[in-house]
Amino acid sequence: MIVEFAGPDEGTAPLTWGQRAIWEAILHTEPDDHYFNFDRVVKVPGDRSVPEVLAAVRALVERHGSLRTRLGARREPYQRLERTGRLPVTFGAPAATRFDYEREWPLRVGLTTDGDRVTHVTLLFCHLAADGAGAEVAVRDLRMLLLGRPPSAPAPRALDLALWQQGEQGRRVATAAAAHWEREHRRIAATMFPTPAKGSDPPIWRALLHSPALDLAVRSIAAAHGASTSTVLLAAVAELAGRHTGQEISAVLPIVSNRFRRDTMAVVSTLAMEGLFTLEVGLPFAEALRAAGPAALRAYRSAYHDPADRAMIVRAESARRGERVHPHCCFNDLRFADPGPAACEPDEIEKARAQTTLTWPLSQDNLDCRFCVHVTTEGVSLTADTRYLSRPDIERYLLDLESLLVETATA
Amino acid sequence: MIKERLAELVEESSDGALTAQEALRATVPLTALGLTSVGQMRLIDAIESEFGVEVDLTEDGLELLDDLDLLAGRLSSR
Repeated sequence: MIVEFAGPDEGTAPLTWGQRAIWEAILHTEPDDHYFNFDRVVKVPGDRSVPEVLAAVRALVERHGSLRTRLGARREPYQRLERTGRLPVTFGAPAATRFDYEREWPLRVGLTTDGDRVTHVTLLFCHLAADGAGAEVAVRDLRMLLLGRPPSAPAPRALDLALWQQGEQGRRVATAAAAHWEREHRRIAATMFPTPAKGSDPPIWRALLHSPALDLAVRSIAAAHGASTSTVLLAAVAELAGRHTGQEISAVLPIVSNRFRRDTMAVVSTLAMEGLFTLEVGLPFAEALRAAGPAALRAYRSAYHDPADRAMIVRAESARRGERVHPHCCFNDLRFADPGPAACEPDEIEKARAQTTLTWPLSQDNLDCRFCVHVTTEGVSLTADTRYLSRPDIERYLLDLESLLVETATA
Repeated sequence: MIKERLAELVEESSDGALTAQEALRATVPLTALGLTSVGQMRLIDAIESEFGVEVDLTEDGLELLDDLDLLAGRLSSR
């Protein structure tokens, strides 16, 4: 099946900051860059026929320019928004293979049917077109289109965002962010996990800590200290990464959605980027938390930066020291909703510790980082390169994280 | 008037999790009422773009953000 679309606009622009950051990651990961593809499955409401669903997909692609945008390659890559085109749609799950970024549309669509009715639409995104939050915008709009209630306000465009970022206001934002990267790079260690050893086979392992006690403790600390649960977790992760490696200043790269501004909130595009969070290690945790609140906000702000500025700063600092400077230590809170602060009795938190489990859900050969903490509704996971943090250390780290938070909450 | 406008921005930044009325009546920091760090970042961006100021992201600067009376006073005297 083919969806022929005819959108309202076309044009070219440089890549946005977020697109450039993900494009660099894609180039580092080739030929395994299908790793960055991700999909969303949308349940189709009511009884919709194939032509009706194809009409909704057409309207979605016409509405969001990012879904009609391909990579252009001159000396510098750029984005190419096209007015018209033909988007293939398959029955069943779309192929999960790598995208042909210059020739292929950045969205693959698959339909699941029951008789002549469509039950589900699978949207498989190229990461140059959207991140998780951007995909949510597309999913929400597709649901509205399937319900026959098309969104009325025009959709914001990645093309305009790229032009804004290059303009005077964008440069002002980028310069402020660059000042943070430069200042913090002057005082952080070259890397958080410097010493390689013989690792496991394969070298990359993920441990997942499922701990209702940790969840209760985080919410309780957030309530007691007027902090968000995400900040409590980021501070605890940074504190313990510093303690485990003997660093005086812990440097962590939180992945930040960058959807705080009105012009970025609802755009289908890739905006998530790394910020730089630093924390003095070894203070009582309550005290560390006081400093962590403002430090987290500074880190979030630094995430909206021009990757070219960051690359220049890292190059200059690495040259000054004669060694490569990179924390290789990241934090990604993937929860869509913050559960919020909630006081909890110490007994209840302690009792919940009996339910803690630790599993090893993933191992693989390559990872472009040494230490990645993910927070999801399933728990807190640590994916690490065992040449820098052994499997027993990964386990110990996660259990120490639980202890630190539970002890702080019940003190 | 500035305080009322700030309270509206709190409601908008928190996606309604905190209403403008709650923000106006608050006697504890907005973060203690459940304004998340995402909400704080949105509020900071909204204040900066609407009032043409730069919010100081230090402990002192952010305390100001938690007290709408203080913040309104600072914005009106600029």
